[in-house]
Amino acid sequence: MHKIEEYKRNRLDLLIARTREGDKRAYGEFLAEVAIVVRKVLARKIGGDGELEDIVQEVLIACHEKLHTLDPQRPVGPWLRAIAGYKLIDHWRKRGRSPLVIDDSADLPVAADDLARHDVTALLGELPPAQAEAIRMTQIEGLTGQEASERAGIGLSAMKLRVHRGMNRLKTIADENKLP
Amino acid sequence: MTNTNDLIAALANQGAPVRTAGTARFVLPLIAAIAVCALAVGLVLDNAFSPYAQTGPAPLLVKWAFSISLVIFAPLALWLLGRPGRAAGWMLIALAVPFGSVAALFVIELAMGSPSFPGKAWQTCLAAMVLLSPLAFAGAVVAMRHLAPTNLRRAGLVAGLFGGGVAMTAYAPFCPGSGMVYMIVFYCLPIIAMAAIGYLTGPRLLHW
Repeated sequence: MHKIEEYKRNRLDLLIARTREGDKRAYGEFLAEVAIVVRKVLARKIGGDGELEDIVQEVLIACHEKLHTLDPQRPVGPWLRAIAGYKLIDHWRKRGRSPLVIDDSADLPVAADDLARHDVTALLGELPPAQAEAIRMTQIEGLTGQEASERAGIGLSAMKLRVHRGMNRLKTIADENKLP
Repeated sequence: MTNTNDLIAALANQGAPVRTAGTARFVLPLIAAIAVCALAVGLVLDNAFSPYAQTGPAPLLVKWAFSISLVIFAPLALWLLGRPGRAAGWMLIALAVPFGSVAALFVIELAMGSPSFPGKAWQTCLAAMVLLSPLAFAGAVVAMRHLAPTNLRRAGLVAGLFGGGVAMTAYAPFCPGSGMVYMIVFYCLPIIAMAAIGYLTGPRLLHW
């Protein structure tokens, strides 16, 4: 795992060096790699997929506009982490609240037992894959939030948020289709 | 919002932005701020350096040692604060050294007996600090907006120190006041006030 991280860091440095030599393709690869790294880092702190992608895009634009603040002799990693952290905090500030922490499944908008009455597979198919997977693990397989978050490779708060949002979405679908 | 892959393709198609004049875009607003402040006091006030004809250059040198160190260290700190991932802690410590030196000199002066206070032209001194500091602060903000500060309060605070330092450097040749009490009340406090304003307004002014 550590070697993979190190490889990715070196790859970013390599790609930015080629970019500075005028290689447009390397720049595209650099940005794609940045998106992967940032998505992975922020997934532990942001639950919603749409929200996560918004921040990833903001980081990409920031990297593009502020590339001149990256010293050629310095590695990309600390620069990228600082920008991602800044954009994450900025996102939270705009949203007007701290990272969401949902502590109790009793708060869920749909009681877990209600799921049993419906074609769960079809219902989950209506959700974004990450939210569907979160509900599948916690409400069907019976994993704890901690176990599910470890399996998904995200933080516990992020997992709870995914479940909460997924259940919210299910409630909307149920209301729209007048399901009991 | 657009798809991430589309965004990457669009940005890559533009190519990496080339900023050959990166340093100049940071330095020029700072130099302009210094020039504007120097020009302003030069046009409004007469007889530069005349207050030191009797006392000798020592009081001016003490004032300049303090203010010029801020004018030098603050842009270096801003330069580091504006580059994500760079540590700027040691430079912030360097910025505290001039204030520590003034405090030490103040203690020495107290031990030797305090001079007359507030002096002859404290109103002019205070007016100069109040009017010039925001001008130089604005220059630092413009310079900083070219970079990418991730700690906006800290960057605002340092921009405020730069503003105050420039104002003091520009006005000092015209200032007849002397002594550490005078320096603390009519220079250090206005500079700290400007830094506090920078600290409070940094998130709004430097947001990117």
